[in-house]
Amino acid sequence: MHALSIAGLNKSYGSFKVIDDLNLNIETGSIHGLVGLNGSGKTTTIECILGLQAFNAGDITVLGYAPENLHKAKGKLVAIFDSASLHPNLTVRQCLNQASLLCDKPIRSAAQVEKLLGVDRFSNFKIRHLSLGNKRRTSIAHALLGQPELIVLDEPFNGLDAEGVDDVLQLITTLNKEEGTAFLLSSHQLPYLEQICSHIAILNKGAIAVSDTVSSLLAQTATTVLLKTEQPEQAIELVKQTNNINFVKSDESGYLHIALDDMNSAALNQLMVESQIPVSEMILKKNSLASLFREITSEASV
Amino acid sequence: MNGLLTAIRSEIFVALHTFASKLIVLAPALIVLLQSIIVKLSTASQQARDSLLGNSSFEDSIANNAYGYYVDGLSTGLTMLGLLLVAQAAYSFSYERDIGSLRHLLVRRVSRSSLILAKFIHLHVLAVLSLLLLILTSYVFSGMFWEFGPIVEDGFELISEAEIQEEIRLGLHLAIIPIPAAIAFGLFVSVCAQSATQAVTTALGITLALDIFKGLLGNFSNYIYASFQASLIDESYLQDVSRLVRGYSDVLIDDRVQQLNLWVPFPALLLFLALTILIVQRRKI
Repeated sequence: MHALSIAGLNKSYGSFKVIDDLNLNIETGSIHGLVGLNGSGKTTTIECILGLQAFNAGDITVLGYAPENLHKAKGKLVAIFDSASLHPNLTVRQCLNQASLLCDKPIRSAAQVEKLLGVDRFSNFKIRHLSLGNKRRTSIAHALLGQPELIVLDEPFNGLDAEGVDDVLQLITTLNKEEGTAFLLSSHQLPYLEQICSHIAILNKGAIAVSDTVSSLLAQTATTVLLKTEQPEQAIELVKQTNNINFVKSDESGYLHIALDDMNSAALNQLMVESQIPVSEMILKKNSLASLFREITSEASV
Repeated sequence: MNGLLTAIRSEIFVALHTFASKLIVLAPALIVLLQSIIVKLSTASQQARDSLLGNSSFEDSIANNAYGYYVDGLSTGLTMLGLLLVAQAAYSFSYERDIGSLRHLLVRRVSRSSLILAKFIHLHVLAVLSLLLLILTSYVFSGMFWEFGPIVEDGFELISEAEIQEEIRLGLHLAIIPIPAAIAFGLFVSVCAQSATQAVTTALGITLALDIFKGLLGNFSNYIYASFQASLIDESYLQDVSRLVRGYSDVLIDDRVQQLNLWVPFPALLLFLALTILIVQRRKI
């Protein structure tokens, strides 16, 4: 069953098309990452999903409701925005007490969620006196008061220190596993998303360029080796003649970029040595979503 | 009803924990208290000066009648309350949209129209509380500094206390009627504006401009709700009551103007509220 379903979403600001035929489904209980460059349409997509702005065409269903009727979901959907979106003149405790009014059945008290997010020390501080990171934690604490089925987080790691990021990642994983909460995370921080997401969608120029499970996406990217040698021409020739490896390019620093399809770095090193090509340096670049993301966004910008 | 109760509870929660709502409730009464003290000091010093110079005025009994000061207090307080309510109505929605706190309400429980209605109801609760405090403050302090009594001139009772109270009741009634329209106008500006600053300056600017230039509008001004509000350049009946209780006998409310005062604010209220709800459905929040 889909917690969120988007079909053929289009959104323009005047003649400028921000979202172009976007399709995305988020399964119940999954953690879905939405990544994209600045201006790729992530926040606009989220605002359309949440009914905060109108769109030109397409269908969106969130937990069975259209975006303009999300209030009927009665707290089953929680959104944490890229800015704190909290009343600056309320204290942390007051903000959370106000938020609990919006929960159908609060399952945690304000004091409990303060402790979970590590803002209990600032309980009586007004929001305007908090640091960016603690505002962020308080904002995320909103989501923990009730038992939402879907949590949408826009740039959840902004302003958080390393400890804060770890706490949030841990919380997302725990809520997902223990309560089956589905997540849509929009972020630039691919390494964090890679750690916790079951699915990733890469948004480029208003459309989903790639959307799949993290493992499938990683399988699409090849491990690359950066190799330095005094005989680059011979090394390139050797790589071109060998199966399971591909020459990608040579860079300004003299490194040869070699993609390993079905060979490990040790075997490549052995091949070079056996061919009497001395290797002075060898750097292994493991496959990652970041490289896939760069590949997709650079392809599209060419 | 689409989260209306939740929205009202949320509004009241924020009001109880922030300063702006308390200002609306307390400020008119405090201003009236201050005005009463200043006027008392001023009249006392004038009377002392007259007594020293041997001047006496046959109007002393009228000048010492508390009803005049009571009505002045109501007029000042209502002027302030009207402006504060317009400003707060303009500020509340636009400010919460600026900081993003509205988004939580809309995503979780409350429809856009319920949100507007909750703000409208909440501002009325503030208006009623402020008004009650204002009436009480003005009455208590006028009674403390002066004496309530009938208008007597040359030993004849010109206007009885019952008549004065009836005129004050009518003046107050007519001055209160435009308040809901003023609140709806503030909310209308709030949903149209791009920011809270723009909303407040626009709403107050238009209210004051209507007040200042209503003389130029001629008879047309009778069809604008703001003409009947207690205001800086006051043409409301409450101002006439103030003159009446000071012995001016030429005060008569034009029946046609009274009818317009009773009926003009209602269509204005409905129009602003309908436009506000219509616009808020289409706005990016």
